[in-house]
Amino acid sequence: MNYETRKMANEVFLPQVVQLLNEGHTVTLPLRGRSMRPFLEDGRDKALLEAIKEPPQVGDAVLAEISKGHFVLHRIVKIDGEAVTLRGDGNLGTENCRLEDIRARATAFYRKGREKADSTKGLKWRIYSWWWTRLLPVRRYLLFVLHPHIPQRFLLNKK
Amino acid sequence: MKVKKGFRLRDVCGEKIIVADGIANIDFSRIISMNESAAYLWKHIEDGSDFTAETLTKLLLDEYEIDEATAKADSETLMAMWKEAGIVED
Repeated sequence: MNYETRKMANEVFLPQVVQLLNEGHTVTLPLRGRSMRPFLEDGRDKALLEAIKEPPQVGDAVLAEISKGHFVLHRIVKIDGEAVTLRGDGNLGTENCRLEDIRARATAFYRKGREKADSTKGLKWRIYSWWWTRLLPVRRYLLFVLHPHIPQRFLLNKK
Repeated sequence: MKVKKGFRLRDVCGEKIIVADGIANIDFSRIISMNESAAYLWKHIEDGSDFTAETLTKLLLDEYEIDEATAKADSETLMAMWKEAGIVED
């Protein structure tokens, strides 16, 4: 059997994923991007998604179409009527959308190549979520400690 | 040999992939995709009718300009791959 990795553009791929979800499938999706650090890592981890059945709640990690064709898998940090505010765990800024733009909920994450998923109902995710969201005031520093990145312009011995 | 019940070829972003109706979860980290000629063959046997390597060889010869030995070898390889992938059964 031949295995190869295909990358697809989010704006064409994810609408089809949403369609499969709406047909009643769940979908396991390899994750891209760093916006859900530190729990989830780009290219390493996968999310298990399902269509929205119960109303989304603050704290849920959801797939939202924040503008036409632009999807994010981020955490809901605030719901005010129909207005939803999202923030990736690895981000400092937020996005806004409407409740109707939320396409799916992450119910579990496959991390570090493990076969067994960490459920979002499980203790690990809930403890992580409790701490990480409360540490928002110092998130900037935590992210730096966890994933040090020094912009090129600050490096002295430039070639 | 025939296609397992519920396995269908779908087009997701131009990729021909196999999705099982009966299987709840679709894992995009390990999906079965088919190239054009495999998809062509699959379309002809997707209804669950019985097929052999000879069936596929004939279909290939109908559609592509290749010699019979190549078509036969390709058909046998493909059948083995489908079997390994668990999408066809005896």
